[in-house]
Order: sequence, then structure tokens, then C-alpha cells
Amino acid sequence: MKLMLLFLTVLSLAVLAACTNSDSSTKDEENKGEDTKGEATKTEDGKVSIEFWHAMSGTGQTSLDEIVANFNESQDKYEVKAEFQGTYEESLTKLRSVGGTKDAPAITQVFEIGTKYMIDSGYIEPIQKFIDKNNFNADELEQNILNYYKVDDELYSMPFNSSTPVMIYNKDAFKEAGLDPEKAPETFAEVINSAEKLTKGEMYGFSMLTYGWFFEQLLATQGGDYVNENNGRTGDATEAAFNSDEGRLVFRTLDTMNKAKTFGNFGTNWDDIRAAFASEKVAMYLDSSAGVAGAIDTAPFEVGVAYIPHADEVKRNGVVIGGASLWMSKGIAEEEQEAAWEFMKYLTTPEVQAKWHLDTGYFAINPKAYDEENVKEKWAEFPQYKVTVDQLQDTVPGYATQGALISVFPESRQQIVTALEDMYQGKDPAEALEQAAEGTNRAIEVANKTKK
Amino acid sequence: MTTVRAPGIWKRSANLRVGFLYLLPSIILFAVFLFYPMIRTIYLSFFLTDQNGNAAVNVGFENYSYLLTSPAFLNSMKATGLFVLYTVPIGIILSLFFALLANEKLKGIGFFRTMYSSTMGISVAASSVIWLFLFHPSVGVFNRILLVLDFPQIQWLLDPEWALISIAISTIWMNTGFSFLILLGGLQNIDEHLYESSRIDGAGYFYRLRRITIPMLSPTLFFIITISLINAFQTFGQIDILTKGGPSQSTNLIVYSIYREAFINYQFGTASAQAVILFVIILVVTILQFKLVERKVHYQ
Repeated sequence: MKLMLLFLTVLSLAVLAACTNSDSSTKDEENKGEDTKGEATKTEDGKVSIEFWHAMSGTGQTSLDEIVANFNESQDKYEVKAEFQGTYEESLTKLRSVGGTKDAPAITQVFEIGTKYMIDSGYIEPIQKFIDKNNFNADELEQNILNYYKVDDELYSMPFNSSTPVMIYNKDAFKEAGLDPEKAPETFAEVINSAEKLTKGEMYGFSMLTYGWFFEQLLATQGGDYVNENNGRTGDATEAAFNSDEGRLVFRTLDTMNKAKTFGNFGTNWDDIRAAFASEKVAMYLDSSAGVAGAIDTAPFEVGVAYIPHADEVKRNGVVIGGASLWMSKGIAEEEQEAAWEFMKYLTTPEVQAKWHLDTGYFAINPKAYDEENVKEKWAEFPQYKVTVDQLQDTVPGYATQGALISVFPESRQQIVTALEDMYQGKDPAEALEQAAEGTNRAIEVANKTKK
Repeated sequence: MTTVRAPGIWKRSANLRVGFLYLLPSIILFAVFLFYPMIRTIYLSFFLTDQNGNAAVNVGFENYSYLLTSPAFLNSMKATGLFVLYTVPIGIILSLFFALLANEKLKGIGFFRTMYSSTMGISVAASSVIWLFLFHPSVGVFNRILLVLDFPQIQWLLDPEWALISIAISTIWMNTGFSFLILLGGLQNIDEHLYESSRIDGAGYFYRLRRITIPMLSPTLFFIITISLINAFQTFGQIDILTKGGPSQSTNLIVYSIYREAFINYQFGTASAQAVILFVIILVVTILQFKLVERKVHYQ
């Protein structure tokens, strides 16, 4: 028996040792890879071939594949291979296992709330380096989008698919309730009033997806910061700032409607709330600008699009962009980085951006795209699209609308979701918000403690 | 003087060494895929991890003390306990009922046997998507039926009071196929002569059920209870698809909470601590089962 124990111990130690050994040897290789940067992968006919990891499915993927194919045809030096890697979270998880090595994809699409994580990760080469080297005029890109991805005045990643929240409403329901279908409510108080008039039988007046992003937007439009250190823009944030008067006002507003039974809760799934709108179970709701096309297509009634509501006492600050940007890997061959840069430049051209905007409803990161004929035609037919762009361009630049920078954003959003759900079930709004702030504080604290 | 020395340890252990040689393949496999990950999990549970998931700060038992006082985790434990209570007894009674029905020798019973066990052939993901549509708040079948019958609508997956029950309903549906099949196999193995003799003695159906069927089936029942319990503790797929742990954390069972902590928040330390706690709970429940329930099992 003793012998057996001894044997087992020795065996497990051997296995442990083997595993630790392999760990350290891969790390050595990683370092080597960074030093020598390796050889560029080439296709048979001598083109530099790079991988592009993205998280676009559905129409986004179709459009993106076409753009990549066009790029590959437009020149004969580079070949881009677009690979769908699952959702943003999934592709980020995969990137974590190869990040910083020569096996990493040259370009990775990462969601906006991963920005801080990517900067801290050491996996990436800031885009600014290439902008400076090639005298690329980044100023012609949409300023309000650049503001988000600029940290300390340096652009780390190339913005790609960007969206903002909008309020989508049912014009027919407005007419029936005796409201002006051309003038959507603009402030929180107006929304509460209109919601009351719109609630009828099966239909709720107002709804919002239970998702942290919308809370962030309603906070930012009042000029409220999400975390301290000016939203983490002037230093590493150390605690949540959203449990402020502004944050409480958002929660109270939602709570008021929920208690008055004019607020419909359709959960955390985008499809559910969109289905509820299309089947006339809710008259006004907040959606992403990327959802406008779908709403117009599926609704059997006339659809209006408006700015998101803002607080009555404060001037509208505007919106924070959401979506994703493209990151260039460090540790890959220089030729591959150049290929990646060429592709990114191609993506910013007005023609490509016009196609992208029309196919998906995401913003054009190059505003010149809005002057393209095909965009103008579409806008003439559906003026709703223009509202989303106007709202973005009316945004007042500031720390609040620049968006928060924290590495634990996914966790913090989950805390907000829980707080909203608890409130809809009757918990005191201020208390629910405070609990979310505490959870966020702990996450930030742990992240700062373990940061190298 | 020379005496006959006892054979050396090398010689005495000859049998043992040969035995180990036979066991070696499985020991290696277990070590690589079970023991090493387990030791690693326990190791990580004493650390906070950095953004890349490497152990960064040794915090001793702080992860555990944090979890055991965190209302979120206690809520997960409570939800897991409730979920086990909802699914295991009902699931087993239901599949036993179906198995008894399908064990009758009737014409075309093969069709029903296939039907009852058919849920086994559908993956958790596929069946969850089906249930997602059934539960849908605006266009779901269940709410349509309630509407026709003039009952108030139920927010199946959105109401914290109902969400766990909804998940339990779909889980019972998914699991009956397997339990049914195993129980039916057990029933078919019972010696027909026992029933014949008891019938001659004038025993009724329920008497036979209580005195012959259940005791003879008890090893199979014990097996299925153990497996169902462990499965219920480890439920993941239907939660990920149906509710993602919400609303208000009401369906955030421990396994889902581990997943969230590890792969969304990248806190492998606290996730590992949760995994260790779950392991201990399952271990204790299983040991209790073997101590308490197995005594009642009748082995032939």
C-alpha cells in the first residue's frame, strides 16, 4: 500500500514536472519569436498571406467576405484570409492562447470594451506607429469614433464597425395615442409621459434591453463618468463612478416606468426585444443603430428613429460608440504587419465604408462615405438612417462620451444587468445600483492587484 | 552462520510491479486528464490570476472566504440545490412511470419505447433552442395556449420566480429519455417467474410493484439516482442557451457561475475555488448516498 502511494506520488510529480517544463519551453520560444520576428507566411505565388480574425456573423460576415475578396483582387502583393472565430468573447479567448506569438493572426477584431485589455496585454502594435510612419491622414476619419479608441492621444487600433444606441418607435402607435409621430420624446420626463399614453392593452410604452451598454449611454449623455480617473482616461481607474446622481437618475427613471407598468421587460436577448417591437408589444425601445435596418424591414407599421433620451436638467452630451476595432499583432513578421496595415487602409476608403454602412447599418468610419451616391439614395429613401449619423456627429466630446476604459468591463456590465433585473423585481433603485458599484469595485481592485 | 534470508523487497514486490504495469495506461491517462487538472485547480484556487490567467498573487484561503460570504455565490448554491430538488425526484418518478408503462407487453409497444427514449437522441443545445421558442415571451407556444385558455401570461424565462422552474421543466424533458431507457432495461431483467408465482398467490398489481418490481429494480434505480444527481449538479448547456444565468441570477447555477468567472471575467482563481467547492459538495452527496441509500438496495 505504501509502495503504491509512493509510486503514485512519483508519477504525479513527474507529470507535474513535465507540464511545467513544457510551459517554460513555450515561453522561451515566444521570446525568440519576438526577437527574430520570424519569416512571413507566403502563398505559392509569393504573396504575403495574413490571417484576419473577426466576430461578424450573418449579413456582417457576408459583407466582410466580399470586402476581403475585393481587397485581394485589387492588388497582387498581399492576401488576407478572413476567419470567423465566434462571438467577441470567444475570439478574445482564442487570442489569449496565441497572443504575442508568431502564430497570432495579423489582425484581430476586438470589441470596444476590450480596448483597455488589449493595450495592457502586450500582444499588439499600436496603429499610431504606422500612421506616423506612412503619414496617413487619420483626421479624415470620424472624430467621435477616433475619440473612443485614442488613449493618451495615441490611436491603438483601427476603428472598424461602430454603432450607437438610438430610440426606435412605432409611429402608428404614436398617432393612435394622439402623439406627434414626427416628434419623439426627448427627455426622461417626456419619455415617462409618452410611455403612459402609449401603454394600451398588450402594448407597453417603453422598453430597454437589459444590457449594461444602454445604462452607460444614458449615463454618458448626462455627462456622467462610469469610473473615476476621468473614465479611466487619465490614469488607471480604481473605482466605479456610475453610482452618482446621474446613474441613480437613470435607474429611477426606469423604475418609475416599471412601477407604473408602462415599461415592458423583455430580458437580455436582442432578438426578443426586437420581436416584441415588431409584434407591437412595445411602442418605444432603445436599440443599436445597427438594428435600425432590421426594425424597418420587419415591422408591419411605420418606424421612427430618434436620439436617445437625455435628462431634463442637463444639456444632451450625446452617445458613446460601441462596436469593435481592428488590432495589429506584435511578434509577427514585419512584412505581415505591412500587409495588415495596407488592408486597414483599404478598409477606411469611402467606397468600402459606404458598402459596409449600407450592408450592415454600422457607421462609416470615414465620413466621406456619406457623400457616395449609393448612400445618398438610401438615405433619401430611409431618412431614419441619417438620424443615427446625426446623433453621433452632434455628440459633445468629453470624458463621458469618450467612453470608459477598464479591463473588467464584461464583469461590470454583468453587475449592471443584475442590478437592473433586481430593480425590475422591486428592489430599491439606489440600493441595486450601489450593489453593482461594489461588485465593479472588487473586480477593478482584483485586476489592479494582479496587473504586472 | 547463514540463515535463509527473507526474499528482498524487489522480489517480494514482483506481483505488485506486474500489477502496476497493467494499470499503467489507465494511471497515465487519469493523471494527465484528471489528477493534474484537479491538482492545478486546487492550486489556482489559492491565487488571484492576472489577465492571462497565470497565478499572480497568493491569497491563501481568501477566495474561499470571499465566496462563502458572497451573496452571489450563496445564491448560486441555493439555486443549484433547488434545481436538484426540482429535477431529480420528478425526473426519476416520471421515467419510472414511463418505463412501467412501456414494459407492458402490448401490440406496437416498440413504437412507444422509441418515443419515450427519443429525447436522448437530441443534443442539449438543439433541445434548448426548441424550448427557447416554446418559452418565448411574445410568440412562444406556451403563452399562446395560456392566452387561448384565458389564463394570465407567464414570463417563463424573464421572471426570476419562474426561470428556474422553466429550466427544470426543460431539463426533466431532456433527461427522461436516458433514465427511461436504463430503467426499462432494469425492468426487462426481472425474472418473469417471480411475477408468475406472486400472481398464483393472488398478489395485486401494486403489491407486486412494491414487493417485487421496486426491490428488484433497486440497483438500477440507485445507479440512475446517482447519475441524475451528479448531472443535475453539473447542468450547463440549457442555462447558457436559455437564460445565461439570469434573471436576477436566479438560474446562475454553480457550473454556470464557474464558467462566467473563468471565461468572461478571467478570474481563474475564484473560478477554481468555486469548482473545488462544487467538487466537495458532489463528493459529500455521493458518499452520503452510498452510505444511506445503498443499504436499501437489493442485490441478487
